[in-house]
Amino acid sequence: MFHLMTDPKTAEQLIAQIATGNRSALAALFEGESGRLVAIAQRLLRRRDLAEEVVQEAFITVWRQAASFDGSKGSARGWLTTIVRNRALNLLRDSARMDFEDSEKLTELGDRQADARAAYEALSIKDALRHCLGMLDASKREAVLLCYVTGLNHGEAAAFMNVPLGTVKSWVRRGTVALQECLS
Amino acid sequence: MTEGDRERIGDYVLGLLEGADLAAFEQQLASDPELRMAVERLRGHLGKLDDTVEPLPANPALWARIASELDTPVVTAAPPRAANDNRWRGFAGIAASLLVALSIGYLAGSNFGQAPQPLMVAVLLTEGSAEPAVLVEAFADDSIRLVPLELAQKPDDRVYQVWTLPDPETGPISMGIFEDPQTMRLAGPNLPAPQSGQLYEITLEPTGGSPTGRPTGPILVKGFAKTPL
Repeated sequence: MFHLMTDPKTAEQLIAQIATGNRSALAALFEGESGRLVAIAQRLLRRRDLAEEVVQEAFITVWRQAASFDGSKGSARGWLTTIVRNRALNLLRDSARMDFEDSEKLTELGDRQADARAAYEALSIKDALRHCLGMLDASKREAVLLCYVTGLNHGEAAAFMNVPLGTVKSWVRRGTVALQECLS
Repeated sequence: MTEGDRERIGDYVLGLLEGADLAAFEQQLASDPELRMAVERLRGHLGKLDDTVEPLPANPALWARIASELDTPVVTAAPPRAANDNRWRGFAGIAASLLVALSIGYLAGSNFGQAPQPLMVAVLLTEGSAEPAVLVEAFADDSIRLVPLELAQKPDDRVYQVWTLPDPETGPISMGIFEDPQTMRLAGPNLPAPQSGQLYEITLEPTGGSPTGRPTGPILVKGFAKTPL
């Protein structure tokens, strides 16, 4: 017998179907994207249960607001990433600040540096972002990566890098301005 | 685009803008398509870092939780979802009032004969310039009627969320979320009768409402309830 193979649908196509109330399209989007999104949220939140909570809320948001997705502004996968990142960061910012005197926390932060560096090194060598991050001074690159990849705020990044708050703020700002110029 | 714009784009995409700076930037974003494009461009590039994660297998138990949440009714449910339902859109005037009134089981209001008396009225003022921005009438059945007079534009990925503070121990309670500023009634959760001096405020929150159940975004407007004479 013939086995009918249909091409897997793109996230854009699925979101268009979800906007019409098609639940199996949401299930297909979950199948294709939830594992990536939970992993992204977990890298920020360090906890699987919180990461899954964030992704659960994100899929409910997608279900209700799929019609508001505008493909001319960016990709559907990017839209999903942004929803998940925003929720995870809100949760991080809302929870109690870390106590950096605590040696256990410092070990945890050590993992974050490894995460930040691993993400950078996993970028394709041909990727413009990799090239432009590579053009930054090491300290600016590290500050940008710590904040973006692991969700540290300025204060946490400053404590971790052992420099004054103002220094980290200016590294991040100068780093992201240089990135935008390099990427444009 | 100025150097300052580029700095704020970077801080915004990295999730480092907070409070008044965040509100001001989001207001600027709402009215500046070029700035929005620059934000999307940087997001698109940095998203490649997110995509370096090793995807986990899809978790069927997580899907089951999502699927069961899809089945819960939206308009009649407690906030924050009530005002966010798309059914709030696409109807005009009396039709909208009727639909909303019916869906929250409250068949009364200025369009329908005898209007109920609010127990409390609050005029919410803008945070910066203290201009009257939103009128709130609070009723005995926990519902509130909201009359926006002037409300800052919001970015596409944010919603307005209405909060009240019945008392400091309880903390802020969500009365509901909405996207289009217009006169509306929100069902509100079951709370003690509103008191004179009770705080009402509206914040900008991520799509779907505050993920923590507490205000996380900038306060746009706030005011205190007074008993009408």
